[in-house]
Amino acid sequence: MSSGARAAAAIARKDIVSQARKRFEVFSMFLFALISVLAFSFAVAGQVEADTASALVWVIIFLTGMFGFAPVFISEAETGTLRGLSVAPVPSWSVYIGKVVYGFVIMGIVEVFLIPICMAMLNFSFTADPTFVLFTFAIGTLDLAAVGAMASALTMPAESKSTVYPLVYFPTATSALILLVEITRILVSGPGLIPVALLLQFLVAHLLAMTSLSGAVFHFTLTG
Amino acid sequence: MNILRMVLYLVTAVITFVYVWMTWLFAPPEATLGELIRILFQHTSPALVAYLAFGTTLVGSVLYIWKQDLKFDVIGAASIKIGLLFTKITLISGMIWANAYWGVAWNWDPRETTTLVLWIAYACILGYRASVNDRDVRAQFGSIFGIISFPAVFLSYISIHIWNTLHPIVITPGGLNMGVEHGMTLMMSLIAIGLVYAVLLDLTYRIDSASERLMEIRMSRS
Repeated sequence: MSSGARAAAAIARKDIVSQARKRFEVFSMFLFALISVLAFSFAVAGQVEADTASALVWVIIFLTGMFGFAPVFISEAETGTLRGLSVAPVPSWSVYIGKVVYGFVIMGIVEVFLIPICMAMLNFSFTADPTFVLFTFAIGTLDLAAVGAMASALTMPAESKSTVYPLVYFPTATSALILLVEITRILVSGPGLIPVALLLQFLVAHLLAMTSLSGAVFHFTLTG
Repeated sequence: MNILRMVLYLVTAVITFVYVWMTWLFAPPEATLGELIRILFQHTSPALVAYLAFGTTLVGSVLYIWKQDLKFDVIGAASIKIGLLFTKITLISGMIWANAYWGVAWNWDPRETTTLVLWIAYACILGYRASVNDRDVRAQFGSIFGIISFPAVFLSYISIHIWNTLHPIVITPGGLNMGVEHGMTLMMSLIAIGLVYAVLLDLTYRIDSASERLMEIRMSRS
């Protein structure tokens, strides 16, 4: 493992341990997701098709990410520890990748509890093709974490950060959301894997584009 | 006004006049679409020029990050404003077309949706830039935002190839999928709107640069 990858793993581990002590952020994210499920249930009055309900799961995860990923860098800036990260003798991209992994883990924990609840309350099932569903959720969550971490870094110098964060998160995450909703809809109701394969390729391409673009320019957010 | 700028404005005026003439008089009604074909010339070209504008923002952002010269940031931000204008024209002309041809103004077609997302995305960049007070930090972070938003442009462009869509594929690798007169008119509209974009970018850049200088003077006096 290279020194950059080791640094990224150390940063992710530091954040996960810190989160395990506090716990409230993951718990708050889960509660927010649950409230969103309830709100959607009220809106559709329980009468919703399986493909639409499965797509709603991504909308809920997207909205949960909107405030779940926001503190990834903002909290570092507020507590004054960002300076330490910016002068640490590690490549800048490893700081970014460490934060992406941390975001992926906390959102993954929320999803483990959220998805079975959604399946029960919105009356649909992901059991038709569990391998593809798992792959889609892993890539999708990683993509949203990559976008969310970069959005958090960009929000650091803004005034009224809580208002500005969605302005940064939305434009960069929506492309992934559109693909994820479509893929999930096809997986639940669809005619097979052939139409999903092309969309999955674009999703992976989006993940690679966002991670490489963000990793390449991340250095400038620490020095800005 | 320097001579190059004057030539640009003059050529733009002439080409735009030719474009209007070709759109409304030269191009014949299409066999199945009839007179509605004329909306296409006000729809396709602004869409392509909007992509060009957001591409210019990407280039300006990369150049700012590389050279740290504020002029590239001003160009990138100016191009967003004009790109938003052309995206708006694309959306409105598309809605007029859809209402006339399909009977519904908005169909949630993948190209429509991704174009609306594109408009919102770049409007968000302007909103974000307004929230950062420090000029250099705004340029630095705004440029990064301009770079990482570009995949939305790509998704909008390829949306008709990856989803079933109401939008016909007009521009193919083998050429334009339309009659000769319509193809010529579309090309002319692309050139004319491209030139209008260049003029608007030049004007917006000059206004924004002057505004920057004014702000610097105010800051130095306060």
